Amino acid sequence: LCRGGLAERLCRLQNRERSAISFWRHQCLSDDKIPPDKSGVLIVKILEIFEECTIQVAICQQLEQSPATLSPEDAVINAEEPILKVLFTRETAAHLKSRPQDVIHIYPPWQKLLLQNADVPVIMNTYFSQKVLLSEHSEAREKTYGLTKMLIRKNIISLAQTFRLDDVDDKSHQEFSDNQVPCAPQTHNNGDSKWHPLALSAVNDSLLEMVESQGAVGWREAQVQVVIQRVYCLPAREGYRSHTQGNKPLCAASVTNSDPPNVRLCLLVQDAYGMFSEVQLQSLSSTDNIEQYCRRWEGKSCCLAGIKILQRTTRGRALGLFSLIDSLWPPVVPVKVPGQSQDSEMMTTNLPPPSFCYILTVQSGEIHVEVDEEEQISNLYQPPAVHGLKEILRIDGCNERCSFWAQVLYRRLQTKHSVPIDQREMLLFVTDSTLQNVVHGIPKVVAVSVTASCVLSMEIIEALSAGSRLVFFKDALWGNGRIICVERTVLLLQKPLLCSAAGADLSELTGPVRLDELDSTTQASSVCALRGTVVGVNESTAFSWPTCNRCGNGKLEVCPQDRELLYCNQCSEVVTTPVLKMQLEVFLSCPSRSQSTVKVKVWHEISAALFVLLTMLLFLQTYEVQSVLGKEVGLLNCYVHSITSHPNCVALEEIVLL
Amino acid sequence: STLPAVAEELLREIKKAFQETSQVPDVLLLGLKFIFGPSAVPALDLVDQRSVTRLRSPSGRILYQVLGSSGKLYTCYSSCHFCTCPAFGFSVLQKSESLLCKHILAVYLSQAMGACQELAVSEEQLTNILLAEEEDEG
Repeated sequence: LCRGGLAERLCRLQNRERSAISFWRHQCLSDDKIPPDKSGVLIVKILEIFEECTIQVAICQQLEQSPATLSPEDAVINAEEPILKVLFTRETAAHLKSRPQDVIHIYPPWQKLLLQNADVPVIMNTYFSQKVLLSEHSEAREKTYGLTKMLIRKNIISLAQTFRLDDVDDKSHQEFSDNQVPCAPQTHNNGDSKWHPLALSAVNDSLLEMVESQGAVGWREAQVQVVIQRVYCLPAREGYRSHTQGNKPLCAASVTNSDPPNVRLCLLVQDAYGMFSEVQLQSLSSTDNIEQYCRRWEGKSCCLAGIKILQRTTRGRALGLFSLIDSLWPPVVPVKVPGQSQDSEMMTTNLPPPSFCYILTVQSGEIHVEVDEEEQISNLYQPPAVHGLKEILRIDGCNERCSFWAQVLYRRLQTKHSVPIDQREMLLFVTDSTLQNVVHGIPKVVAVSVTASCVLSMEIIEALSAGSRLVFFKDALWGNGRIICVERTVLLLQKPLLCSAAGADLSELTGPVRLDELDSTTQASSVCALRGTVVGVNESTAFSWPTCNRCGNGKLEVCPQDRELLYCNQCSEVVTTPVLKMQLEVFLSCPSRSQSTVKVKVWHEISAALFVLLTMLLFLQTYEVQSVLGKEVGLLNCYVHSITSHPNCVALEEIVLL
Repeated sequence: STLPAVAEELLREIKKAFQETSQVPDVLLLGLKFIFGPSAVPALDLVDQRSVTRLRSPSGRILYQVLGSSGKLYTCYSSCHFCTCPAFGFSVLQKSESLLCKHILAVYLSQAMGACQELAVSEEQLTNILLAEEEDEG
């Protein structure tokens, strides 16, 4: 059955009704005399019975009071008493075994239907009916009657009698036209897709009310209207575990190959009362682009239905989620206050930030999230506040969400081979005009750490490895002097349409990027530029090797057929034009950090731009250390591997900026 | 006879309630159950799934086709109560146990709630559908 559909609703109503009926019947057996003067009880005397299909139709007279109080002689048919047509289902009729002259008590709930062309009202839903025995005298009569089988006339209904659903009086409407009914505010055209599962109950605007009134079993027909504040992905294996056993990810079934990792699309929504909720939707395939969802959905209103509660989490247990919620607090428009009349909306300056949040998910199977993409952005939406990196570095707090637009200069992957590729952390070195244009005091380049819990789309990963890119970091975390990208941070290639640029200079970088020069303040795992003089060469580290020009495989083999040629196992082909990679460690004396021994590993492949030191070495057929010593080396871009104090040594590696 | 008038009135109430509030109140759903018995829930399910299509030919002839749960397409007439499904033949024609089968009820409910899909067909196509039913029977 369709979830939220009419059939499902009727099933539920019917089950409830059935339980009520059996309970009532059971109760009838125990209490013989249920006082008939309880309100709502219909007292009828059967005059005539016949059957149509499986329904028993009883023409009855409605009695004012129970005939038990009248003597049998008084129980004459009074022509003044109203006539009713009472319908009984087959089952009720079998239970009642009624005959003409019987008096039946019909308890609520029953329904009265007035037909258009008939005077006699019809009584339906007569499940709670009970026959009343008049007196001892009649009891004996009952028993005799009971022995003779009563024949009930059955009416055969003609098939020619169809039902006309239109108003007979209203001639202006054709029977089969498109709906031109004037009274309905919404015309229900058959092609109108706005008219979503039939007859859902009215849309609510309070998440809390929905949650607290429905319990954790799940909402069937209730709908709640919310604003989508943020769209992001959460890795499935870190996602909340619901009813699945053990640690199986919620969407394990959809993984066909090992990459990419399973991620779930999630929404952070807020209702009209300011309450937040995280809704976990379907898992994304590698072809889905989070950027599209962000663009289309953020800021829009949507209706949630068929939602299940995964858990209720608090500030202490979900720091990441609440740091995001805090960045959206206080709301930008006044929110409603529960319990008060909605005319008086309270200003939000005094409201404390939320301390709990519900994590919701959809019932397995269909998504019941209707986002009206055509609609305008909601007033409640708070776009990410974009700041320049300079401003972010000056933020005082800890665990603050921040958004910025920066150029990625260099990417360094964590090299632990024990960790699978998709779970590796990454360091991105970024800068923007606010950092580059500063003379002194703050670094020119900042390291952004991307943890494995921050989900990156395939597009971003490709873009980062291809070349220098401007990337929008949405809701990254700043704390302890570092910017990190964690879960709920989204990296996008395009600046979002709506973002409040709080005085940030989002202009493009003009001119070449400059790195800080190596000095006494340089830290490990950073990038810097250096200049110095070659004072030594570590000959034992001199190394050159050919690599495959197709796949970069550094372990080429000699061809068995022709020992002059090289063979690549990964491509399964001969390598005709190998790329030569070279590596060497040199010692430099740098005036900017004169106390330290500066050791630079220099390497590169000879197909791209040539580097300072390597060019020198390459063009010497057999290089001699002597010819290199004393040579000036100017402004190498390097990554700082480590800095040790005893011995005072800085180990760097020459790098290529993207 | 009483039942057809009652059924008709109930369906009209449903149409009216639906037009005014876009919803069908519980009491009317239970009324459907009372009158139509076991056909009610399956008929509503067919409506939920938008299984009813109204076919109209240029001359104004109307026919309904309902996609049953088994995937079979049944034809319901508009001029009288008739459906090509086996349940109709058994419950309505043979035993007179029901007024309608679930497909015919779904047609009425879809009409009441504006849930019919519309399809314009040629005279020939309509004829073929009607004749095809005959051949199956034969």
